[in-house]
Amino acid sequence: MGNNEPKTVCFMCNFVFCREEMEAPPNVNPVRVMCIGRIDPVVVLDTLANGADGVMLVGCQPPDCHYLEGNVQAERAVKMLKKLVTLAGLESERIRLQWVSPLEEKSFYSYAQEFTEEVEKLGVSPLKGEKLQPELVTNVLAAKNAASDFRLRVLLGREKELTEGVNVYGEKLSAEDFDFLLDEIVREEFIRHKIHLLTKVKPLSVKGLAEAVGMKPAAVLRQIVDMRRRNMVALDHVDGTTPFYKALEVK
Amino acid sequence: MAKSNNTNVKRRLPPCRSACPARVNVQGYVALLQRGKFNDAVELIRKDMPFPAICGRVCFSPCEDACARTNVDQAVAIRALKRLVADVEHETGRVKSKSIPKKHKEKVAVIGAGPAGLTAAYELAKLGYPVTVFERMSELGGMMRYCIPDFRLEKFVVANEIAHIKDLGVNIKTGVEFGKDITIESLHKDGYKAVFLAIGTQLGMKLNVPGEDLEGVINAVDFLRAMALGEHVDVRERVAVVGGGNSAIDAARMAKKLGAKDVMILYRRSREEMPALPHEIAEAERDGVKINLLVAPKQIIGQNGKVKAIECLRMRLGEPDESGRRRPVPITFSEHQYEVDTVIPALGQVAEMSCVPKEMLEKEARAPQLHVDSATLETNMPGVFAGGDVATGPASIIEAVGAGKKAAVSIHLYLAGKDLRSGREDVEETTWVKNWGHIAKKERRYESPAEKPRLSFEEAKDYLEKTEEKAMFEAFRCLGCGPCAECLADLELCEADKAVVDEAACIGCNVCAVVCPFGAIKKNEEEIAQVNEDVCKGCGICAARCPEQAITMKKLPNEKIMSLALVALKE
Repeated sequence: MGNNEPKTVCFMCNFVFCREEMEAPPNVNPVRVMCIGRIDPVVVLDTLANGADGVMLVGCQPPDCHYLEGNVQAERAVKMLKKLVTLAGLESERIRLQWVSPLEEKSFYSYAQEFTEEVEKLGVSPLKGEKLQPELVTNVLAAKNAASDFRLRVLLGREKELTEGVNVYGEKLSAEDFDFLLDEIVREEFIRHKIHLLTKVKPLSVKGLAEAVGMKPAAVLRQIVDMRRRNMVALDHVDGTTPFYKALEVK
Repeated sequence: MAKSNNTNVKRRLPPCRSACPARVNVQGYVALLQRGKFNDAVELIRKDMPFPAICGRVCFSPCEDACARTNVDQAVAIRALKRLVADVEHETGRVKSKSIPKKHKEKVAVIGAGPAGLTAAYELAKLGYPVTVFERMSELGGMMRYCIPDFRLEKFVVANEIAHIKDLGVNIKTGVEFGKDITIESLHKDGYKAVFLAIGTQLGMKLNVPGEDLEGVINAVDFLRAMALGEHVDVRERVAVVGGGNSAIDAARMAKKLGAKDVMILYRRSREEMPALPHEIAEAERDGVKINLLVAPKQIIGQNGKVKAIECLRMRLGEPDESGRRRPVPITFSEHQYEVDTVIPALGQVAEMSCVPKEMLEKEARAPQLHVDSATLETNMPGVFAGGDVATGPASIIEAVGAGKKAAVSIHLYLAGKDLRSGREDVEETTWVKNWGHIAKKERRYESPAEKPRLSFEEAKDYLEKTEEKAMFEAFRCLGCGPCAECLADLELCEADKAVVDEAACIGCNVCAVVCPFGAIKKNEEEIAQVNEDVCKGCGICAARCPEQAITMKKLPNEKIMSLALVALKE
């Protein structure tokens, strides 16, 4: 196989109809899991970090799901993943959630092919090969850390409760409001984890960080304040009148 | 006894399994068939009941009636598949199972070696009890051996299945009659701590019309039993069978095979109300049995003490009765006669209660009836349980198997001194399909062969391969309604995966309980998540969502998914 051909990984629900001898297109490699809702967002980001050109998640066409709402869970995860990947500077099209009717035999092949072609258009993953951009590597790692962070995972796990139920004050969150909230929290978490990674290498000042992440110093400072409260960073030293921060070990 | 009804385990099972009185894991063995694992499939059936080959032939298959596929086209041919896996096992030879070590000291007596008694013995032997089965006849199997004719259920099939039960170390005593050679007291005296009474229904019901004592009137049960014992019965030329159940069909087909020229079935309702299985009725008609509907006998006319004719009345259908079937109403002046030599009443059976102690009978019932708790199968005598046909009236093999399993659970709880009502399973039906429209229609392609073809060695191999292929196609028609069938398939995924909580890392945020589709994971009083392994189906959604990553899956943790993904990338 040539170097230019895209490599994609396909996570697949165990119950999507497909026989043992089912063929996948040559560059698509299916990994079977019990339910597509089983896929941890961290795993998807890790796969991308390891040089996959694309990741496809194949689940059963809603409303049918052997685990009643596993596919809805996957949909939520993918929504968040796309936001994270875009922030990291990758194309969100590299992740695709594909519904397949659990009893169709043919469709999987054509969907997989379609996805491969689309990924081919995007080109080889910038996370592969010799010419790695160090910033992108940090970005993807930050995204991965954000996805394994408590805050995002709780939000994901409670989406149904938040959007379908009412809270103790009898307020209801609309899907749009939730999306807005998710956007904001994803951005914040991503930035925080990026700051965390940068300060891990060497202590940095707010100004230095603002340059590195491309944000206004005031916005960075707000994150630093939050991060100090959460024991993610601490003051390292003060150079003149400029404080420098370094990362703390996060469990 | 301790009060408890809430400790019962609630399980979500696919429709086929919840419809089966013996709770056979249908989806599981069909899934194994999809992978061509015939021997594993039959072992999986044996986990739930001891008669795969018998039920594969004569079960009335409530599973097929419940099958969700009926919403699309036609039920999966479950019975035929079961027969196939049992037959393949028979052809290839089964590994003899080892005797199970006796963990318990308490001796258990089972009276009657029919499906209920044998199943109870099988289940109790698996639990490690020393079990003795007492049987009046010389051969085991009860009605399966003596009342189902050879052309429906071969004798060697019954013998084979029972041999597997004997292999487990069940003690069997034949030629022992309950009420004569043994009684409940004598069993207690011999040290049996529990008794399961499964003597079935042995007496054929009478027609209650004049002329029933004439020569040439023989009850279907007696007729079939005589045939099974190899006795000679002369049915002569013209035979009338009265009744519409499976015994009636069996007796009629048997008479035809014995050489009777004209065999007719007289049934008082219409064809829809016939309790016999539709395909059995079709087979009988193929054999040349005539079916006269909406007629009931009024009297049997004799000549020189022998049957000469049967006089019948025409019937019409009236209002539905308590069984839900329309009640037949005689039409006046519609008497007519059929010239016959033999009359075989096949109206069902009743239990022979003369051998049962009087205090065990229901006091206010019209006919003698056992006093049995339908949930636990207890009788009013401590340590004595009763089930199967003797408790319910004539039913089916699979219901008797269900009763045998229930009795085994009760006896196990009773001997351990526990509450008989707790620890039982509640069942809820589940189907994942909500949208029937998108399921492609696939017609049934596999049916059990009516007769085995006679083939040479080379042809047989070819035939078997083709049959297996067809059966696998049929198995793929299964929609797999339940989430994970726990079918023991040797695939990493299909081994039932279970969630494991790292209790030190759990912070009690309750996200797992929110995302679990089956309610298998909940916080305890100490705010730590606990997994109910009986309910957990191993989807792993909780592991994918746990904010502290404190939940992992036993078989497929995140690290394993990751390594599989890396392997996939390298390929």
